[in-house]
Formats: sequence, C-alpha cells, structure tokens
Amino acid sequence: MGHNLQFTFEAAWKVLLAGLVLGAGLPLLFALGVRSLAWGAGGDAETHAAGSAGPKAQPIGTVIGWLLFAVVLAGIALGITFIVASGLGKQLSFEHVFPTIVNKH
Amino acid sequence: MTQSTVILVLVIVTALGFDFTNGFHDTANAMATSIATGALRPKVAVALSGALNLVGAFLSVEVALTVTNAVVKLQNSNGTPKASLTADGGEALLLIILAGLVGGIIWNLLTWLLGLPSSSSHALFGGLIGATVAGLGWAGVNWNGNGTKLDGVVGKVILPAVLSPVIAGIVAGVGTWLIYRAVVGVAQKYTDNGFRWGQIGSASLVSLAHGTNDAQKTMGVITLALIASGHWTSTSSIPFWVKVCCALAIAMGTYLGGWRIIRTLGKGLVEIAPPQGMAAESASAAVILASSHLGFALSTTHVATGSILGSGVGKPGAQVRWRVAGRMVSAWLITLPAAALVGALMWYLGDLISGVAGAIVIFLLLLGAAGYMYLRSRKEPVSHENVNDEWDEVTTPSERVPAGSAN
Repeated sequence: MGHNLQFTFEAAWKVLLAGLVLGAGLPLLFALGVRSLAWGAGGDAETHAAGSAGPKAQPIGTVIGWLLFAVVLAGIALGITFIVASGLGKQLSFEHVFPTIVNKH
Repeated sequence: MTQSTVILVLVIVTALGFDFTNGFHDTANAMATSIATGALRPKVAVALSGALNLVGAFLSVEVALTVTNAVVKLQNSNGTPKASLTADGGEALLLIILAGLVGGIIWNLLTWLLGLPSSSSHALFGGLIGATVAGLGWAGVNWNGNGTKLDGVVGKVILPAVLSPVIAGIVAGVGTWLIYRAVVGVAQKYTDNGFRWGQIGSASLVSLAHGTNDAQKTMGVITLALIASGHWTSTSSIPFWVKVCCALAIAMGTYLGGWRIIRTLGKGLVEIAPPQGMAAESASAAVILASSHLGFALSTTHVATGSILGSGVGKPGAQVRWRVAGRMVSAWLITLPAAALVGALMWYLGDLISGVAGAIVIFLLLLGAAGYMYLRSRKEPVSHENVNDEWDEVTTPSERVPAGSAN
C-alpha cells in the first residue's frame, strides 16, 4: 500500500499543477478576453449608471480580446493534439519547451 | 456452434450492452453544465457529445487489451489469457467476464434509475473483481500491484477515486473565482454570451477524451474473450469490427442521454451560470488529459462532479446542495463492492448450472433486471423536455403516508 500512496501523490500534485495552469489559467485568459471585448465594444456591454450612454468604445480592446481568444484556441488545439497523439501510440513531449510529437517509450 | 461459441456471443452482446450504458451514464459528465445553462439545447448537446464520443473511440487505436490487468489476474503480462482458464474453449474465463459485465450493467442501470452519477469504470472493475473472487478466490485479484508502479485495485481505482474529485474541485474553484474577478464591471448579458461559447468548446473536449478512454475498455474486454475462445490470436491489435461496434455502442448510448443523471449534475448540485459551467468543464478536461498523460487512472464521473462542486464553491454567494453531493459520494463508495457482489452472485449461479445453460440464465436475469428498471423509470420519466425544470429538494413521493394515518 505504501508504494501506491507514494506513486499516487507523486502523480497527483503534477495533475493538480497541470490542471491549474490549463484548467484554470486558460479560462482566466478567456475571461480577460471577454472583458477586453466588452471594453472594446463599450456602451451597454459594460455596467454603467442607468440613463447614461455608457463608456466609449475602445477599438484596442477588441484587438486584445481576440488575441487572448487565439491563445486559448491554441491551448485547446494542444489538448486535441494530445488526445489524437496518445490514441495513435505517440505522445506529446515538452522536452524542448515547444510541444513535439514523439513515439511512446 | 460449439458451447463456448454460444457463451462468447453472449459475452460480446453483454459487453456492448455495458458500453451502451457507459455512454448514457456519462453523457452528463460532459454536457450537464451546457444543458443547464442553456448554452446548448438538450438534443443538440447529446448529439454533439455522441458524435465526439464516436470520433474519440476511433482515435483510441492503442491496444487496451491489458485493461483488466490493473485489477484482476486473468491475463499474462503480454495480454494473453492465463492458460489455466482457456481449457474447454475458454469457458472458465468467459463465465468470469460475463458475470463481471452483468454486475457492471446492473449497477449502472440502478444508479441511473436513482439519477446518481456513479463511475462506469468502477462498476466494470467491481463486477470483474467480484466474478474473479468467486471464480478464482481472493488471490485472483491484483490488490496492490508489485510495487514498481501505480497498480492494483488500490493504486488504479481507490486512491485516484479519492483524490481526483478533490483535484478537479480545487481547479474548478480557483478557475471560477478568477473568472468572476476578471469580468467585474462587464454586463452579465455580455459575459453569459461569451462564456456559453467557451463552455461548448471545453465540454466538447471532455466528450472526445471520454470516447478515447472508455470505449477502449470494452474493446479490450471483447478482444480478451475472443482470444480466450480461440477466435483471435494477436495481442497487439484489435479486430476492426470490435472497434466499430464499441464505438457505435458508446456513441448511441451517449446520444440516448442519461437525462436523469444530467438533471442531477446540471441542476441538483449547484445552480450553474455560464462562467461556472466553463470553469467546470475546463477543469474536467485539463484534469482528465493531464491524468491520462501521467498514467493516473481516474473516472470521468468523479472528475466532472468534483469540478461542478468546485465551481459552486468558487462563486461568491452560490448555493451548493451538499445533501445531493453526499448522496453521490455514498453511491461512489458502494459502486465497486455492490457491482462486485452482483458479479460474484452471477458467477456462482452460472457455475452452479454450468455450461451454456448457466451463461444463458445469467443473461436472461440481466435482461429481466434491465427491463424491470426501465419500467420503473417510466413512472417518473426524465427526458430532454423536463431535464432543466426547477430542482425541488422535497420530491418525496406522495404515496408515502405518515405512520398511523393509514386506514
């Protein structure tokens, strides 16, 4: 039982770490993207005092928003590549920082 | 047809039946939140999830033949069945597999009837463990592995089941909290729209991962039965028709939609808003993918439930129905022993009658139990039409008359 406990905790904290980066980090970027888009759109997209016209549109916000969405999409693409690669008997290697597909060892 | 061929056919049909229940039992894991928030119409959600499960099942070409090795000692390490079990056309092994599958299906159907999201992998492993203990004794079960890697019932089933919902809950809780902090000052209508899209994307990822993980298990079990009865020899590939049948079974099950479970997960635990839904599904997807990368076997169901709870804890002021959560956790705890008990009983019965007759009796018992539970479910149907109705805690059936007032 002892060795299994040890192996489990070794794996568990890595899962937690990866989960936090990908499973909470990417949604945060997405949320910031939504916020930037709202900032870019101005008006009723943002909360403002009733009766007033709301904040002015900021086009740069729209650009930043879509950039953030692009990062999130890249993250999802990585996820799908991971599923497909492991299904084909390969795995993603992060050895060279950039993900590369290598044969499973 | 020889005797063992008849039993083999029963095993294959039962395995596909299990795959089917696996599909509809787990639709909720990916789609409950999207359905609850209205990001997808219920029928569209199950169709999308079914299609992605189908694709996922075909992507899993990796041989899953040794899937049972983690919990029971039916196979040698190269995947071939133990020689002692393959005498008589493999009848001994086929009976263990059949009894185990029946245990898994019956437990899956019962928890579905009660609307409880329990783990299909635990049901399958439980059934197989029970049938193995009955057939080979306690030594037939791989309780703890050999100490060189995460293995055995403890390492592959129990410890991950305890930890994975906690991990998923933490990730989803942190994600939800961050999201709500990030969108302060943005109109709710605007955020809800954006997050519905994010939710659909992350839920799709969960469906795809589910197809690759879960369909594989049934493929492995069927191939093991084929090898045991001498209809297949390769241990490094799976017959193509097995792959097609398993992929279709899990996809059709998913499309049918386990509405009772979808309702519990989507409406029962937490009132989910789109930002929470996205946080929950992203957490599930990330935890499932990271775990399979690290060889940490877990159940999609435990992860999804943990994530949804986490998204309730992470949103300030959200209500979490801990009573419903408690009911789920108790269902998790008894899933493995309960399925094991059914699996063991089925093995004893099949062994007592013995031969083809024994296998047929077990199979008929399964059909009877399944039919009974289906009829019970019609009394209080949950479908795509009422899946999102308000969750009413006091749904005690009206026929429960207080003691003493009966006349």
